Amino acid sequence: MEKVKLPTSVSAALKAQGVSVDSVLFASATDMNTFCEYADGYVVLADDKLCVLASPPCPEQVRLFKGYGTKAEAEADVPHDWAVKIMPLAELEQLSIERQVACGILVANNGERLAAFSNLHTKKMHLLVRAFENLKNPQPDFMNHEKEEEEYCPTCGTMYPNKNRKICPKCMDRGTIFMRVLRYFKPYIGKMAIMMVCFFGIAGLNLVWPYLNGTVLYDYILEKDAAFLERIGIPNAEFATALLLVVLAMFLAKLSIQLLSVLQGIFTAQIVTSVVRDLKKDIFGAMGKLSINFYKSRQTGSLMTRVLSDAERVTGFFIDGAPYVLIHGFTILSTIAVMFSIRWELAIVACILTPISVVIGFKLRPYFWRLFGRSHRAERAINSQVNDNLTGARVVKAFGQEQREISRFHTNNTRMMDAELSIVRFDVKFSFIYHFTQELTNFIVWLIGVFLIFRSINFELGVLITFVGYVGQLSGPMNFFSHVFRWWSNSINSAQRMFEILDSIPEVQESENPVSMPKPRGEIVLDHVTFGYEINKPVLKNINLRVNEGEMLGIVGRSGAGKTTLVNLISRMYDPQEGTITLDGVNVRDLTFHDLRRNVAMVSQETYIFMGTVEQNIAYANPNASKAEIIRAAVLASAHDFILRMPDGYDTVIGSAGRELSGGERQRISIARAILANPKILILDEATASVDTETEKAIQSSINYLIKGRTTISIAHRLSTLRDADKLVVIDNGEITEEGTQKELTALHGTYYKLMELQTKALALKGIE
Amino acid sequence: MPKGPQKGSNSAGGGEEEFNLEQMEKETEEMLKLRYLDDSNAVFERTQGGFVSVRIKEEFYPRVQVIRMFPFSDPEKYISIRTPDEHSKEIGVIEDMKQISKETRKMLEEQLNLRYFTPIITKIINIKDEYGYAYFDVVTDRGACRFTINVGGHAVVHLSETRILISDIDENRFEIPDVTKLSARELKLLDLFL
Repeated sequence: MEKVKLPTSVSAALKAQGVSVDSVLFASATDMNTFCEYADGYVVLADDKLCVLASPPCPEQVRLFKGYGTKAEAEADVPHDWAVKIMPLAELEQLSIERQVACGILVANNGERLAAFSNLHTKKMHLLVRAFENLKNPQPDFMNHEKEEEEYCPTCGTMYPNKNRKICPKCMDRGTIFMRVLRYFKPYIGKMAIMMVCFFGIAGLNLVWPYLNGTVLYDYILEKDAAFLERIGIPNAEFATALLLVVLAMFLAKLSIQLLSVLQGIFTAQIVTSVVRDLKKDIFGAMGKLSINFYKSRQTGSLMTRVLSDAERVTGFFIDGAPYVLIHGFTILSTIAVMFSIRWELAIVACILTPISVVIGFKLRPYFWRLFGRSHRAERAINSQVNDNLTGARVVKAFGQEQREISRFHTNNTRMMDAELSIVRFDVKFSFIYHFTQELTNFIVWLIGVFLIFRSINFELGVLITFVGYVGQLSGPMNFFSHVFRWWSNSINSAQRMFEILDSIPEVQESENPVSMPKPRGEIVLDHVTFGYEINKPVLKNINLRVNEGEMLGIVGRSGAGKTTLVNLISRMYDPQEGTITLDGVNVRDLTFHDLRRNVAMVSQETYIFMGTVEQNIAYANPNASKAEIIRAAVLASAHDFILRMPDGYDTVIGSAGRELSGGERQRISIARAILANPKILILDEATASVDTETEKAIQSSINYLIKGRTTISIAHRLSTLRDADKLVVIDNGEITEEGTQKELTALHGTYYKLMELQTKALALKGIE
Repeated sequence: MPKGPQKGSNSAGGGEEEFNLEQMEKETEEMLKLRYLDDSNAVFERTQGGFVSVRIKEEFYPRVQVIRMFPFSDPEKYISIRTPDEHSKEIGVIEDMKQISKETRKMLEEQLNLRYFTPIITKIINIKDEYGYAYFDVVTDRGACRFTINVGGHAVVHLSETRILISDIDENRFEIPDVTKLSARELKLLDLFL
């Protein structure tokens, strides 16, 4: 075994107590004492003793928790005055970790507190306890998780907040997000090119407009400038013709601008909708691939916001924002150039104030970023609540709580309003400054222009009008630049949330070279399986189980004992932390998802009916099934009769938008679904728990048909359901406590016997079920 | 590799030789009762290992678990005294900590403080929001702490209009008892989560 790394002062303190550093097997830091003070400590497991090191509390020391700080900081060798307590392992029978609300304590012999630690160290402490247990009672396949270390970003050295998603929030710069979104536009590059041509066409024509409308009209035509007519090739000073031509040119310019706008609008709409579609497809796909855990930790409403509005918000900027940066940049620069060529003194006056608004807009960016984040969260809260209320409508009504729900909604709604209002308020303040500078500029230009004309210093009215036209021309793009940062924030904010999903790595993944097993025999073996939803809270502990081909295994146990978790592991909703699950001798981790899930079907207490017809629902796992097969499955599931009692038969729309089914009916639909899926392994998770005894009988006979020739694992509270089981196991607290045939278990006079006695005496007592 | 059926001997209730319905009914009935404890009927004592024991008439529990029923809304009332095992059963309830003697109260509070360990944030130095995570740099009543929270999850919980509870990615807890007492700058930093 590799030597355990210890801080020098810890090694020294151990040495002083006569503990050889080479004998150390495992060590974990702690960061609290039992008086609720932060204080560094160490728990060291050596060959024959456990050493607990404590140091006096040190409030000046900054505590770094997970995700904060670099590896060097986390492993800093802070010297302490260690108080060492040594316990010979011979005197230590039991070592356990007791989870508190937000910390943990290490307890010896079920009665002595040894150390306390924040959740930062919980995982490592659990590993220490495991190592201790292995020392006391060696397991042949004990895995030392010591190498399971936190990972750090190679660039800045910060710990990844989530090990499964190796993206450092600090190093992930927003420009990268921009480029990633841009990639979605690549397939539409042709349309984008046309769009850009339109944009530049419009910008160019807009540039010509003030010239036509000012200088040409006023100074050349109205002032009857013959030289100008010569130049454009109209002899004899026919000013009427010239006027007509200019008006025509002006008309054509405006017309072209409009036409180009329409064209550009059409292409924009096409690109936006396509990109939004592609983005949504990717997010939905990514969410589908994620493991069950992902869904458990998030609210449905908030996920809906992500799929539905974020994609639009992101694309919005890229179409209505990004190209205009180019266009408006071009417009501004060329307009300024033209202005300078007309009269540089006036141009300076006109431009002097404009950078101010751009600078202000840029400076305010972080505030917008924050405000948008807040508005998004408020929106999410509303979505979640609406979702919550719609799902729970029945309970709300049953307890007559509509009014309270309305006021709860009102609170969230007001919060959303406030968030939006603060954005608008901010915006208005900003717009005021911006428009004020603009009006001021305009005013000054007019003032100086008129002054120049009075003094007639080589300046004419037409030129002034042209000039003012250009100043006006600047206003649109400048206004855009003042808002573009806001858009940018908004859109990158949304993009960031989207990529968070796209980048998540599913916890349960298909192996790289999965084995295909289209027709397994159906022999399942669980070998030393340990699993917990959190690594330090095992729900299943060291489970060994074997179900032979075609056998039926019954699982009994109180609620929360880990029965459902056990069957979820078989279909790889989760992967066990330790041990293996094999199907026909092949680790389920090595099987293709397709083969595994095709061959394992589950009928559970929670039946989900999708929006669609009865036929579609039955054929969910096997969409290619023929009508005859569907009917046969329904008959076998004793669903046929009630289906035909509905007016539209198999075409009846059921699910959230359609007809409501009773619990027993839903159950039978899901059994039909499983029959049609024709799996080799069938899992029944309290399949008849929610129906009355009569319906149960009917469903039971369908199930009896269903289990023929399949390996079946059935979880049931009602022991009568398990009469035909070849073998039964009782699970308590994540462990198999009893195992054997019905006869053997009855003879054992244990939990199974107790349950059976209770049920035969028809006493459904609380807590025992 | 099925293990022999004899493993069942250590299961819950496995110790009973015969099935005793009356006994069970009695147990169940007891489960439905609430027993209030105070100085008159219960004697609490510190144990050597740092826990607390209780004697209630003839019953003696060498070690008990002390739990608040309303840790946020009423931490001083309704304290449940329970057995420490995994199927923790209720031994009794202290209705109000004010009704018991000072020493007992102190003794129980020591247990409660550790169980509900939550540093109180007294000063916010900085909060940085980056790509789905927020980095907090704060001072608490237990010293300076730097921790990370997941912005997308339920890391920030509003216990009331002004009181918030923050859980970092390991679910360590930090509390701000009254946000209105924060400075304008701190509020601005925290604004994101209000």
